[in-house]
Amino acid sequence: MNPEMKIIREVNIQAENFYNEAVKLGDHAAYALKAQHRSQMTNLENIAESAFKATDILDYIKKQTARFSYWRQPFPEDKDANTGFGERLKHYLEHRLQTTLENICGPKRLDIGNTTDEDKQERRRIYLLLIRQFVRQMVVEYEYQVSLGSASPGGKKREG
Amino acid sequence: MLSNAQLQKIYLLSDTILYREATVFMRKLVQEQGCDPLPTSQVAGLLSIAEATRYDELHRFVLHQRDRNWPPSKRDIKTFYAALEEVLSLMQRKRLKDEFRLMPDIQGRSESEARQELDELMARLAREFIQHLVAENGVLAARKAEERMKQRMNRR
Repeated sequence: MNPEMKIIREVNIQAENFYNEAVKLGDHAAYALKAQHRSQMTNLENIAESAFKATDILDYIKKQTARFSYWRQPFPEDKDANTGFGERLKHYLEHRLQTTLENICGPKRLDIGNTTDEDKQERRRIYLLLIRQFVRQMVVEYEYQVSLGSASPGGKKREG
Repeated sequence: MLSNAQLQKIYLLSDTILYREATVFMRKLVQEQGCDPLPTSQVAGLLSIAEATRYDELHRFVLHQRDRNWPPSKRDIKTFYAALEEVLSLMQRKRLKDEFRLMPDIQGRSESEARQELDELMARLAREFIQHLVAENGVLAARKAEERMKQRMNRR
């Protein structure tokens, strides 16, 4: 398998693994932003798709969290019921997805080092691919929840 | 004009070094030194200058803000600009060439060409650093405002 195919395969495998987390954050987004602030999710997705740098996405999340109280709204269904949506999303992308990146770049998987600029750039690119996948999944869940009008804790019924 | 390789390197530095340093920079000022986050008017001014002007003009602006005779209620702004000036100066004097390796030695390049390239590189690096610190400043300001509101509610 050529290296690019390997990367796409690994990113897709990880997307399956973090699907449940993306769903939880999508539910949180639906609860906090509701249908009224749909453009916030659309903008986030657009920025994630077009950004050259992961930190552009993190800065955007920080800016929105600072500007709008609904980005700071916690989700009563979450284990950590004090953490707002923006902070929780930023933490996931900044820490958990970084760990995912470290794992898939390890010697048993993609075997991409972390010393040369070339390797670091490749890691950066894969990190962006992971963020995009995560944000896409989260936004799909958000759309689904607001379309059901079930953006309140306990308001949704999921099978399985 | 900067080469594609230089821009890619700046993006890499921004993601791996400058973001973290700008976050630490703001947290140190606000959480350790007890400064207030930068007010919105200052944020807007700094961002627009960082985005629109050359590095020497940005540096002049930072020096001007640092050296202004601020009233006691706004001393934190002076502290902020003094700290920012130190970061930018160190970046220009040392880190850009030695650590970031953004200025290759090109034989036959005139002094003015080298100076112009240095200015362009510093403008990009400073812009990245300022974008990150402004984002963190916003989060810290919102947190502080919420804490104040909670305290006010508790007093009632």
